[in-house]
Amino acid sequence: MTTLYGVLAVFDTPEAVTKAAVYLRESGFRRFEAYTPYPVEPLNRIVHPGPKRFLPLLMFAVAILGAGYGYFVQYWDEVLNYPLNVGGRPHNSWPAFTVSAFEFMLLVTMAAGLFGMLAASSLPKLYHPLFQSRFFARASRDRFILCVKASDPIFDPKEVEEAFGQLGAEHIEEVRT
Amino acid sequence: MTITLPTELPADAPIVTRDVTLASLSEEVSGRVLANRAPRWWWIGFGISFTLFLLLVIAMTWLFVNGIGVWGVNIPVAWGLALAEYVWWIALASGGTIVSALFFLTGSPWRSATNRIAESMLLSAVPCAGLMPIMHLGRPGLFYWLFPYSNVMGVWPQARSPLWWDFICIVCYMLMSLMYFYAGLIPDLATVRDLAKSRGKQILYGILALGWRGSTREWQNQRTVYAIMSAIMAPMVVSVHSVVGLDFAGGLTPGWHDTQFPPYFFFGAVISGTAVIIMLTILVRWGYSLQNVLTEYHLNAMAKVMLVGSLMLAYAYVWEAFGPIYGSEVADKTEFMQRVFGFTSPAFWSEKILTVVIPQLLWLPFVRRNQALLVAISTGVIVGMWQERFVFVTSATEHNYMPSYWGVFFPTFWDWATLAGTIGLFLTLFFLFLRFVPIVSIAEMREVVQKENGR
Repeated sequence: MTTLYGVLAVFDTPEAVTKAAVYLRESGFRRFEAYTPYPVEPLNRIVHPGPKRFLPLLMFAVAILGAGYGYFVQYWDEVLNYPLNVGGRPHNSWPAFTVSAFEFMLLVTMAAGLFGMLAASSLPKLYHPLFQSRFFARASRDRFILCVKASDPIFDPKEVEEAFGQLGAEHIEEVRT
Repeated sequence: MTITLPTELPADAPIVTRDVTLASLSEEVSGRVLANRAPRWWWIGFGISFTLFLLLVIAMTWLFVNGIGVWGVNIPVAWGLALAEYVWWIALASGGTIVSALFFLTGSPWRSATNRIAESMLLSAVPCAGLMPIMHLGRPGLFYWLFPYSNVMGVWPQARSPLWWDFICIVCYMLMSLMYFYAGLIPDLATVRDLAKSRGKQILYGILALGWRGSTREWQNQRTVYAIMSAIMAPMVVSVHSVVGLDFAGGLTPGWHDTQFPPYFFFGAVISGTAVIIMLTILVRWGYSLQNVLTEYHLNAMAKVMLVGSLMLAYAYVWEAFGPIYGSEVADKTEFMQRVFGFTSPAFWSEKILTVVIPQLLWLPFVRRNQALLVAISTGVIVGMWQERFVFVTSATEHNYMPSYWGVFFPTFWDWATLAGTIGLFLTLFFLFLRFVPIVSIAEMREVVQKENGR
């Protein structure tokens, strides 16, 4: 029941939390995460280095599929299923079909973005061990929180707590699941 | 040589006042949502709005029981107030997306505090716009035939028609606006969840926030997607309102059959949407006493946007006159002269004064700082835009090609009741947003506060 999830530390400035994250990364920690009230620019590169192209690529791929499908629905309707001669216009009136295909493309791209964003962040996830900490709610207001997970290969609670203390953490706490 | 007028806001005028901190920002904005009792002005406003909304219910019932003959529409003027107000409402909504998406892309700092107001406004206006054409259908219950779905009747919509494009646009626009709104709202819902005291609110906002924790991975994903969404919404809204223009441009009626109408309509959306946002911002600013977050900087910036909208609209009006007068089509010329000097002339001229002449006052810095004047000018713009849509829609069919086919349009009581009722629906929805959603984007404002005020 009470396995250790990790150790969290509360910092009061974005600079302090960035410094601590750099320290953790340089000491060889790999499984840690920062929780901040707004996106702190350098943290993202420190905590999750490497390219992050998944979501833009997903949205682009869905945009192409959506445009194709949006056009096909109209093509099927006007050319294959029920061809109707309206004033001698061609059955496949592509300029007229681009408008709806464009709108449909944008709609599915937005949906891919929203649901892709939730999936990539593993949301919705209504419960998380960190919510047990009294201090964690401050991360959505004015505090910057770092948490080293117990699953990290070189995790040692004593060592981490000591390091956090030296880095100027306001508060240090062990979080249990 | 540059001249600085003494009353102009200085270039470094604060976007937020100095006393705002990260904690006070979150607590103040969330506090408006979490308060157990809504303030008195909210109940008064909501009460009036809801009464008007009930009028819409009555008007719609009367309409559905009796048919659209209860309105002033007839042959030759078969498109009356419902279609004019459809354009009007969708223009107001489009203005909300322009302020929210376009100025996100330009990185304007004033957008962070006003985008939630703009998006709540547009989400309240789109249902009003969507109702109008449905009410105008002879058989409203069959509107779903417009969806391109496989059915046993073998009935498919005509995909070459701008009217059908318009339907697709409105449906997509509504859904996309909701997604855009929610993608920006999730971090704020998490803040409200963390500040909520009562169990019920913790559970409600906990579910709505989907367990947002503010980890770097979540922020990275959210910001990436939100930026792309903004880049999608900005051209989307231009296309939506252009297609509304094509509804008319695609017809052969003199006065409608003109390629200028897609941008003409869009320019109207810029000015009228901004006008509504200015009015609602002033309401939120005083009602929720958020003067330290919604400062004069924001009103000044939006007044400038409205001024630009007015200039663009003036350009469109020049072409509205130039086309028929310079062209060789007699019917176009006759229709235009009737519009300017005929039955609709009072509405035509007062509309030009309200939307083009009076907004020129916004060149003066003291006007941009005076909130009473801003409200007055914005009201004039909104009324003027309503007149523009009204004149545009009715005068064309009043003066079609054959003089024997001319007529006039008089709105009836039920026309006015529908207008009042949709205003009620709009305000009812907006007041609900005001009560249940943080009306200022807290997460985005934090960056502004951090940058402006340090800690």
